[in-house]
Amino acid sequence: MSATHDGRDAEELRKGQEERLNKVWETPKGWRYWSVVNNTEVGIWYTATSFAFMLFAGVLGLLARVQLAVPENDFLTASFYNQVYTLHGTVMMFLFAVPIFEAVAIVILPQMLGARDLPFPRLSAFGYWCFLIGGVFVSGSIFFGAAPEGGWFMYPPLTTQERFTPGYGPDIWLLGLSFIEVASIAAAVELIVGTLKCRPPGMRLNLMPLYAWYVLVVAGMILFAFPPLIAGDILFELERLFNWPFFDPERGGDPMLWQHLFWIFGHPEVYIVFLPAIALVAMIIPTFAQRPLIGYSWIVLAAVGTGFLSFGLWVHHMYATGLPSISLGFFSAASEAVAIPTGVQVFVFIATLLAGRVVNSVPMLFVSGALAVFVIGGLTGVMVALAPFDWQAHDTYFIVAHLHYVLIGGMLFPVVAGVYYYWPLVGSRRLSDRLGKIAFWLMLIGFNVAFFPMHLSGLMGMPRRVWTYPTGLGLDLPNLISTVGAFIFAAGILIIVFDILRPKGNQPYAERNTWNAGTLEWLSEVPGKSWGVRCVPIIKTRYPLWEQPGFMEDYDKGRFYLADAEELQRETMVTSVLDGEPVQCLRVPGPTFMTMIAAILLGAVFIFATFHWWEATLVAMVLTTISILVWLWRGTSLIPEKAEKDVGLGLSLPLYKSGPQSVGWWAMFITMVGDGTAFLSLVFGYFFFFTIHEDFPPTGAPTPGLLWPLVSLALTAGAWAAAWAALKTNKAGNVAVARVLMAGGTGLALAGGAALVWAPYGAGLDPVSHVYPATVWVLVIWTVAHAAVGALMLAYCLARSFAGRLTPVYDIDIENVALYWHFMAATGLITVAAIGLSPLAA
Amino acid sequence: MAFSRHTEDNLWTLIAAPTVWAFHFLLSYVVAAVECAPNSDIFEPIGGTRLLVAGITVIALVAIGFVLWRSIREWRYHGGGYRHNEDTDLDRERFLEFSTVLLAALSFVGVIFVAMPALTIWDCR
Amino acid sequence: MLHDPTDPHPPPEPTRSRAGAAKAVAAALPVLASCSGPQSTFTAAGSESESILHLFYVMLAGASVIWLFVIGLSLYAVRSTPARDSARIGVRLIVWGGCVFPTVVLALLLYWGLEKMPGYRRPADGPRIAVSGERFWWRVAYDVEGEPGIVKSLPTGGVESANEIWIPVGRRTEILLGSPDVIHSFWVPALAGKTDMIPGRVNRIVLEPLVAGVYNGVCAEFCGDAHAQMGLRVVAVPEAEYAAHVAAMAEPAAVVSGRGVDAFLGNGCAACHTVRGTPAAGSVGPDLTHVASRLTLGAGLLENNRENLTAFIRATDHVKPGVQMPAFGMLPDDDIAVIANWLGELR
Repeated sequence: MSATHDGRDAEELRKGQEERLNKVWETPKGWRYWSVVNNTEVGIWYTATSFAFMLFAGVLGLLARVQLAVPENDFLTASFYNQVYTLHGTVMMFLFAVPIFEAVAIVILPQMLGARDLPFPRLSAFGYWCFLIGGVFVSGSIFFGAAPEGGWFMYPPLTTQERFTPGYGPDIWLLGLSFIEVASIAAAVELIVGTLKCRPPGMRLNLMPLYAWYVLVVAGMILFAFPPLIAGDILFELERLFNWPFFDPERGGDPMLWQHLFWIFGHPEVYIVFLPAIALVAMIIPTFAQRPLIGYSWIVLAAVGTGFLSFGLWVHHMYATGLPSISLGFFSAASEAVAIPTGVQVFVFIATLLAGRVVNSVPMLFVSGALAVFVIGGLTGVMVALAPFDWQAHDTYFIVAHLHYVLIGGMLFPVVAGVYYYWPLVGSRRLSDRLGKIAFWLMLIGFNVAFFPMHLSGLMGMPRRVWTYPTGLGLDLPNLISTVGAFIFAAGILIIVFDILRPKGNQPYAERNTWNAGTLEWLSEVPGKSWGVRCVPIIKTRYPLWEQPGFMEDYDKGRFYLADAEELQRETMVTSVLDGEPVQCLRVPGPTFMTMIAAILLGAVFIFATFHWWEATLVAMVLTTISILVWLWRGTSLIPEKAEKDVGLGLSLPLYKSGPQSVGWWAMFITMVGDGTAFLSLVFGYFFFFTIHEDFPPTGAPTPGLLWPLVSLALTAGAWAAAWAALKTNKAGNVAVARVLMAGGTGLALAGGAALVWAPYGAGLDPVSHVYPATVWVLVIWTVAHAAVGALMLAYCLARSFAGRLTPVYDIDIENVALYWHFMAATGLITVAAIGLSPLAA
Repeated sequence: MAFSRHTEDNLWTLIAAPTVWAFHFLLSYVVAAVECAPNSDIFEPIGGTRLLVAGITVIALVAIGFVLWRSIREWRYHGGGYRHNEDTDLDRERFLEFSTVLLAALSFVGVIFVAMPALTIWDCR
Repeated sequence: MLHDPTDPHPPPEPTRSRAGAAKAVAAALPVLASCSGPQSTFTAAGSESESILHLFYVMLAGASVIWLFVIGLSLYAVRSTPARDSARIGVRLIVWGGCVFPTVVLALLLYWGLEKMPGYRRPADGPRIAVSGERFWWRVAYDVEGEPGIVKSLPTGGVESANEIWIPVGRRTEILLGSPDVIHSFWVPALAGKTDMIPGRVNRIVLEPLVAGVYNGVCAEFCGDAHAQMGLRVVAVPEAEYAAHVAAMAEPAAVVSGRGVDAFLGNGCAACHTVRGTPAAGSVGPDLTHVASRLTLGAGLLENNRENLTAFIRATDHVKPGVQMPAFGMLPDDDIAVIANWLGELR
């Protein structure tokens, strides 16, 4: 009697909990739908958009194949062909391959970690809007015949000088993509913090799903790989817009610097694309082998090892540039070494398949296709890693074949496997087995027919990026075969698109956990709920659904943490890095249009700059800054109504944390690591010129001297000390002193920036005249811009303090600003050392 | 669980060895790039630079060797084995130690690979 | 610079046996052997291209075996029923197949590749030729001075020509590579790998043809609209013939007066082109002093005959889209004909 009574009470309670959760996590309706920031929605927009870009770039690829089907064809003009192939590469790499990683991770990572959302949902939404605007801007240019046509690598001087490339093509490429790079870095920050801090209780490092390991490594790689490209973009755009001669040899510049910066980004990028796809394989294989993966540590080795080694490969895109053999040798060595961890992954998968009873399915089919294709790409990769062979193969269709084997085998096939595997989570129904199989065979056969002959045509002397080729060299047949294959391949893709888009109303829902997988994302109900997870589970094993008895029932009954939303707030859990011990109950923000507005305004900055509308650019910059400030003011570091809350199971967690225990501090730290990498890339540029020139600075050229740089350094150090002291005094309760320090720090920072500008300005350094003054100015501008941002941050803290939003206890703002100033101080020191001291050494 | 006389591993100790690899790589590259800057005589032997690379290599190998030795010793002390999927401090520690062993071994091989060019190439050609 | 006797590792001479080995592999792969042609790496008519082809065949054989093994193993793994100790076997597979085997194979391959590298760039013992990659053709100057690595820009002087390089068989000819405009890449697949031509730098490549013949060269780095049509011919001939050719190239033009010359000068062609012996001394476009002696027109694009010459002058941008030379279709047919006739006599 009392048992049923209790049962009814518990049932009522659960109903109430579910109602509240539903209400809190509800997706807005109507036009307000677009204010959504929740990972499930944003992630799906992100995924769909990157697939759309992939289809667009695929059509461009087909156009190129039609043009090359027969020799001396005139289907496309030379100029249009160049736009087509440039956009094909650019869109595939920047708007599909990298974003699809972020997109898929945003969708499934929180689910896999039993989290309700990522720690910064609005940042994901902001990133998405940046990506969409930038992507449409870059892709759309081809419809106006204004697309970039210098190749996706944009080598100067072809692309920097008006006489070779008139028009806006390169500017659209540079500014559009810089904008998207901002989005990528935002996603990387989000994913690193998400993986490290938002795991469910008990999910220690050794129990983390392998996908999360890959995400951690890849997001870390983005943090170090994208900033050099951003630095390169800055130099490139300064040359295009203002004629600063970074890549112009006549004024001391060197086109090779761009190649270095581009490929320091470009090679890790290949692994940034490849590893997340392999991460999907690492989730799919255990499910269909129906056993845990053999060699968990080996995968961690492979992911982390590849992450490091991939930064030592960039010159293998530059083997033909005439660098000394010994330099080529280092890169050749690293390029061979990186094959070891890659091989490890392949054998881990084979070992797991060997030890399991494999269930046949469409995802497995695509995984096996991926393996067969990728291994060929890997083996040709080992070949071209050897510099002498690459001297022949480089920039020929052999490389075109190699890179497509790697990217389609190592990325597209696994992603399609992932689509078939995860579709039930997104669309609540399985995709068709029959269509999947047909698509697979069309894609596998079409792919090989298209790309295998390219190995031959390349070695038979067909260079890349040619819009036509002469007859009589034996290239006719392989090219015709390639074109036929490309269309077969496209037919396969089309079938997948059809399978996804066809109405499935009369098809029954898939069962819950339809493939009988072992990891948390499969807890999701069918159809899925907007709350993400019913409650935050306690994890004791790597495959809880297989290995923790009664797990799903406990979960459904809300017997873990945060089963309720009493205060009607969106909440998720923050845990410790090593062992996943509960640390905080994090309130995450809900829907807002601020992210979209900020992204549109920032997009306007880039687009106006592209067309040299300087006044409009400045206005947009100011508006962007204001919109971001409003967003931060209203949405971050909110003071909770109580200090702690009961999250269930007798555990009480604080609602607010600042400093190294807060997710915001980590995000600032990680962002500044990326920012510092961009800065160091600029410093690399300075020393690059230092080594290639016998006299740098050129004899007799004006230098910034020592006095003003040192004055600036002293003022900057003062601002740094003020920021740090403001943090300490505020914490100690000395709010008045802290406010004085914040105000003083703002002034010192601005004065330091002014002194730094005065150094080259007063000495009369003309950035157009030679690369030396240009590099000095770049370092100065970078540092001054950062000082200005630092000043703005201190002023923001001051305002927050007066508004009562920053108190001795609730002090995330000043904690993060003080952290920023550590990096800012280092930036100032290095800049002053470089521009002030190196002329003395020369 | 106490780990007296032992390092408690974390993500930083995990990436110590590959970080050494990265510095070794960077230094070798910089040393060669400075020596063989454009417009220098390409057929002049660069024995000094090769020796320098050899020196950097020895230092890097010793450092990685230390990480390798330490992590093997601790991994063995904690019972060794390839399975560490339990929800315990010990298993997390062993997992990190074993992964450190693997990464250190890879980094060791990586450093040897990267040093090879200094063995076979004797000038700036 | 001649071969340096102090060189600690004397370069291996191309030997018959090695050439024989490469040919044997090629013969065993009839498909590949049939892929040779004037622009193919399979032709392997130079010491470098032959050695690299050999390297390729060895790697190809190894890669094929490895691929078959991996794919066979995966198929077996998918189909087999797991045995009791298959987890243990799995770990062994990872250790031996994933770590030890690749490490050993890659180390050997790397060492082999590194050890061969200095040989490809060993000093030359033949003539020194400067080649400048320009949009979208090749400026050639025979017998130039200047030490590779020391000079900062391509040496001037020498005997000028364009889009065709003659080199002696059996000698190592040093080619100095540069560019005044954008990056190009110099590639003669049948003779050697490619090397970029970078503004502000002087690169070097050595061509050592083993067999006489005419080989195609192409630009391998994207350089603009006419990138696809920036070709050249390399003519490998016995040494005496080479010397005679350069001597002939040094001579002024065969016909230096007449209606053709007048039309040429009168229509402004001299603003860009040089014809030595006439007042035409432009330096923007190719030197035409001996244009009729060349095998091709328009940088490897067209067969060199009167008809093509006419077409090239009249509809330049149609024949070669993106070319820098304006089309002279507005000239009277007669003017074009006399210019083409005259140029056709400049052997």
